[in-house]
Amino acid sequence: MSEEKKVKVHVDKVNKSYGDNHVLRDISLDVMDNEVVVMIGPSGSGKSTFLRMLNLLEKPDSGVIDVDGHDILDPKTNINKVRENIGMVFQNFNLFNNYTVLENITLAPVQLGKMTKAEAEEKAKELLETVGLPDKANVSVNSLSGGQKQRVAIARALAMNPDIMLFDEPTSALDPEMVGDVLEVMKRLAKTGMTMVIVTHEMGFAKQVANRVVFFESGKIQESGTPEQIFTAPKNERLQTFLSKVMHA
Amino acid sequence: MKKGLLTVLVALSALFAVFGLSKNTASASEPNYTITSDATYAPFDFQDKNNQYIGIDQDLLKAIAKAAGFTVTVKPMAFNAAMQSVASSQADGVIAGTTITNDRKAVYDFSDPYYKTGIAWATAKNSKIKSLSDLKGKTVALKTGTAGAEYAESIKNQYGFKITYFSDSDTVYRDVINGNSVATFADMPVLQYTIKNGTALKVQNPKDPFAAGDLGFAVKKGQNAELLADFNKGLAIIKKNGTYDKIINKYLDAKAETFTGSAKDNSTVWGILKTNRSAFWSGLKQTMYLTVVGIILASLWGLLLGVMGVSTHLWVRSLSTTVIYIFRGMPMLVLAFFLYIGIPALTGTKISAWSAGILTLVLNEGAYTGAFVRGGFESVDAGQMEAARSLGMSHSRAMRKVIIPQGLRLMVPSFINQFIITLKDTSLLSAIGILELTQTGTLIVTRNSQGFRVWAIVAMIYLVVITLLTWFSNWVEKRMNA
Repeated sequence: MSEEKKVKVHVDKVNKSYGDNHVLRDISLDVMDNEVVVMIGPSGSGKSTFLRMLNLLEKPDSGVIDVDGHDILDPKTNINKVRENIGMVFQNFNLFNNYTVLENITLAPVQLGKMTKAEAEEKAKELLETVGLPDKANVSVNSLSGGQKQRVAIARALAMNPDIMLFDEPTSALDPEMVGDVLEVMKRLAKTGMTMVIVTHEMGFAKQVANRVVFFESGKIQESGTPEQIFTAPKNERLQTFLSKVMHA
Repeated sequence: MKKGLLTVLVALSALFAVFGLSKNTASASEPNYTITSDATYAPFDFQDKNNQYIGIDQDLLKAIAKAAGFTVTVKPMAFNAAMQSVASSQADGVIAGTTITNDRKAVYDFSDPYYKTGIAWATAKNSKIKSLSDLKGKTVALKTGTAGAEYAESIKNQYGFKITYFSDSDTVYRDVINGNSVATFADMPVLQYTIKNGTALKVQNPKDPFAAGDLGFAVKKGQNAELLADFNKGLAIIKKNGTYDKIINKYLDAKAETFTGSAKDNSTVWGILKTNRSAFWSGLKQTMYLTVVGIILASLWGLLLGVMGVSTHLWVRSLSTTVIYIFRGMPMLVLAFFLYIGIPALTGTKISAWSAGILTLVLNEGAYTGAFVRGGFESVDAGQMEAARSLGMSHSRAMRKVIIPQGLRLMVPSFINQFIITLKDTSLLSAIGILELTQTGTLIVTRNSQGFRVWAIVAMIYLVVITLLTWFSNWVEKRMNA
């Protein structure tokens, strides 16, 4: 039973189609507490769609998804409450353009009654310190670089004190010199024991940080295992082809 | 952003206060009737140089009311609207140089005839057309709903001419003088008056009018019998005591200048502006009042439609789409007539021209506003909604806190554009008799026949106001983006 308790996310046989395009086929996956799961695979393999299902931004056609013991596909489940505990970071940052950096971070905790304004602002300043942007609190989000925006977006997600963080290609829209700063913040977050599910093309980062790497291809999990198993002794033929392409690119 | 909106509202409500509504006062002892009348039908109904409504009809009505012991509130408007207002029970009676015809008797009850008239036809002064048979294949200009128009329709096929309609007399005359059409048919005294006043037309049958007939005061069939009886009683009194003859002679013998002001005042833009400044000013005030109230209410209505248009409920979205579809697809003039004349005829409840006008603006401009508001919300990047939802905010909270504020900012240029359109569209409301700037222009032109100069002045006033509105809007936009 103590093993069971550690499951943070339980996914069983989810399917998703867009018209004739069957993007996810019978995917099952469990994510344990404190685990960092990195999902890799070619574009269009379904990994982002899968990630977006974990907080119901996408709805599966069939299957079971439990997060923190809540069946999120049950219409009776208050999805807004569940989402408060799942932070999400997007490829295109999606910072709120009508607010300052500080307001971006404090909006949700204050609006949703998690903290008073003063508490939220204090927390926001701490988080900005953590992501290395202590002096940006009162600037407009449009004045930030891509790397800075993504670090603010991470701080915004953390402000809700989530116990799971989802990252959807967080560095794909960044200039190469910005990537390092963002990955550094994510590494530090992983060290704190945060449960993380990450979709990325950064293989070096996956090797360093992941407890488990999952390879998606054609809407299926073709192989999963420790970074060593995946990167040094891949069994699946498609994984081998994929790795030979990305590692020598 | 909130401050910006507040500033706008404060400024608008200040404007509101400046252009307060004027109210009619009536004495309580004598019965008071609302009488509609033509606004542009000299010598029966027109405005003098002091912008008072005068004319044979107006003076007779006043004298008759006094003699018979009742009071009247006169509402001058376009002839057709004046007649329809009575048919739809918006007003009690109409005196508008109306010829008594069998067709009209089906809808109205007429008083004893108060004036004998007949139809004359006129061409441009130097026209080669001499007889009705010369009209073959040519176009004749007519004023909508008049006995002259009815007569022309009745001989149209016999003489083989085409017809074009206008809603006020001066435009009819201009059309003939400018050569777009070659002749017009109208009541003899009306044509004679305007020719005396300098309009370059020539009556072709001064000695023998067609379809000689009688003018009568009208009420809706089967209603206001008491008013009709009083009118007849008063008419008999003033005929007996000589007042009647005095009034007729005053208009048919006097020089036109008596009513229209000196030729000098009417022949320069400056003179016209000076002579009519109080008329222009009150017309402009009414236009501004309609515009400001229209903009505020249409914007609120449009915002509501726009928010409904991005609702998560299908039926709310459909409702918004349908309302926008209907009112964006309907010509504003049709909507104005429908609300003012159609609704009362259907439901029996009166609606003032002003209320009908504002309702028209709100429904029409609001539909356009609703469409671009919805578009504005939809053009906010979908990622903004996803980010808000992923933090645990509900759809409506995400709309309020993230999508709507960003959408509104995108919409500012569209709002400014719509404000300017609203200002211009108020001119259409002249058709239901609201005395705004355009209708003021029509009235002045009826009196002085100086169409070119008067319309140039009216156009300039609109341009000045639109420029001010644009500056104001740009200032607000800057404040919002600051």
